[in-house]
Amino acid sequence: MPVMGEVHTGLLQNSGEIEESACRQVLALTAGETVRVSRRPIVHAVSPDRLTGVDCRLPSATQSRVRGVGTVLSRCAITGGRVAQGSSYVRLTRAEADRRLPWSHYLARPGVVEVLGKAKARDLADGFADDPPPGCLDLGAISGRFLDLAQSSPLLDRRAPFKVPRTRLRWVAESGEPAIRFVLRSDRTRSVLVVHDGAFTPAVADLCEDLALHDWLLTTLLVLLERARIGAVPGPEAAARLAPAVDHLLHLWMPAARLGDAMAPYWESLDRRPGFSRQWQSLVDRVRDQVTVNTLALLSVTAEAGRRRR
Amino acid sequence: MTSVNAAFGEVAAERRIASAPLSHVSVELGHLYMEDVEAGPERLREQFRRVAPWARTVRSMWQERVPGGRARVSTCFLVDDYFSRSSSPAELVPMILGTAAEEGLSVDYLARESACAQADDVEPARLVEDRLVADPPPETTGSRPPVQETGWLCNGARSPGNGTVQAMGRAQRWAPPSQNAKRGHSIFVDVELWDEDGPGRTWSCPFLAAVWQLLRLGMLRSDGRLPLLPVPAPDTWPKGWDALPAVVQVNAQAPPFSAYTTLSVLSPRFLPVELAVRTILGQVAVDAEVLRQVAERSESEGVRLEDELVDRVSYVFC
Repeated sequence: MPVMGEVHTGLLQNSGEIEESACRQVLALTAGETVRVSRRPIVHAVSPDRLTGVDCRLPSATQSRVRGVGTVLSRCAITGGRVAQGSSYVRLTRAEADRRLPWSHYLARPGVVEVLGKAKARDLADGFADDPPPGCLDLGAISGRFLDLAQSSPLLDRRAPFKVPRTRLRWVAESGEPAIRFVLRSDRTRSVLVVHDGAFTPAVADLCEDLALHDWLLTTLLVLLERARIGAVPGPEAAARLAPAVDHLLHLWMPAARLGDAMAPYWESLDRRPGFSRQWQSLVDRVRDQVTVNTLALLSVTAEAGRRRR
Repeated sequence: MTSVNAAFGEVAAERRIASAPLSHVSVELGHLYMEDVEAGPERLREQFRRVAPWARTVRSMWQERVPGGRARVSTCFLVDDYFSRSSSPAELVPMILGTAAEEGLSVDYLARESACAQADDVEPARLVEDRLVADPPPETTGSRPPVQETGWLCNGARSPGNGTVQAMGRAQRWAPPSQNAKRGHSIFVDVELWDEDGPGRTWSCPFLAAVWQLLRLGMLRSDGRLPLLPVPAPDTWPKGWDALPAVVQVNAQAPPFSAYTTLSVLSPRFLPVELAVRTILGQVAVDAEVLRQVAERSESEGVRLEDELVDRVSYVFC
């Protein structure tokens, strides 16, 4: 049975990046649970896992009525003190009984949703790729609330340097011959299919969060470049509009930083085609070139003015 | 140059979860309200007399179950100093221990109920509150936050609010509440976890009793550490309850305080409290790492534990 998840990614609602200690406070969602922080090669903080109980229809491509009962596993993360994510996933398994059991049964299997009745794995995986119909499991809403939870922390000043919409990445993982497929569904929604060798491990969820983070960086940098209207507005104005990218985004690109050996090849294959890092590098070069050209123009204007004064 | 495998670790990025020493069973010799204890040694003697045969039975059951008959059975006694405070440890504790000994029972550990709410800088009750995952009624998709009545926890869907009046002034018809995992008919339970009528929050008796069960099962951690560690008995019992450690180890030779399973020998008047306790315990998400540690350890000594926590908690009502 497949594993499915959804990651929402957005700019942390704060004027500047926040320090590691603030990340810990923002993500302290559970009393007595430590926020895990890794510092190399970039500060990355992850909240403790939380569970949400669900008992509802599961999305199905053929519209069959399939009931799932269990818990959704969720967490929030902050990368570089600047980008916030809310992430949730469930592992589907076939229920042994064909009725709802006492809740303690499901709590003993955190992050598992048991499927009651007949259902085909393919049908559920395909059904999940689209927006959930009303009355069906809604992982997006849960991830969205977890992202809200981080964004509404009183430690944040809510004065973000620019406004960009959140992106959502919906993923399905199944076992088989290793493969990965990344699809841009709309300007804000992406879907990913990960086929992994052997049993599912949480490393797959880490991979999808990492993909979501970098996809958001690319999307956001593209938006900022578009808004700069290079060539349509005077050079200094375009350069000024690119300043937030330099201040807040360019240093955050660290693909596969925390992924183990098992997951790194997936990133590598996506990096060969379509070539995320290649696109990122070309955008970064464009930003830097604009800033450089503008600096040179400013310098020559200053030099000219100096000559005239003499 | 040959390639080199690099490994890089960061302590702060890893979770470290202490493991608890564990007996096979933790037997609670009695849960008495302060007024029962204050009623004097006769009330206590009566209680211990009822408990003694059950304590012997559970010991022999575990001796048969464990290879080599080396059953680790620890006993405990919880003193209620949370809901009423009177008398003093100096007066009460020697009476409890003495009366138990006269009935052939040894109290290995003595705990204060208020320690389930707060002990030093740890609040075990808060640890449990943050780990509650509400039992979802059917049609819960996750699209809205879980419906919760602050301070209450139930095992199903509540009856629609009383007294609400729909448009056109017609009162809404009553509909029954419903248990989520019902077998045919519902037994709907709604438990008050706390109130804030006083100056601060007052936890309810069932909630603290649920915390007490989780402590005895060794299931709670605070920042990866065990929240309460038993402290050797002082030479003299203090005059104030606050001066008494949260859990006192009375018998230095006793097996560990926490255990794979628990048994509480209680008066039937505690039955509703324990139904509430089980309703709460069925909705506590215990750390998966702690569950794994306990499962590994029990299997390594040939003891098969139930998957669900509530099934490790048993009672004798007598």
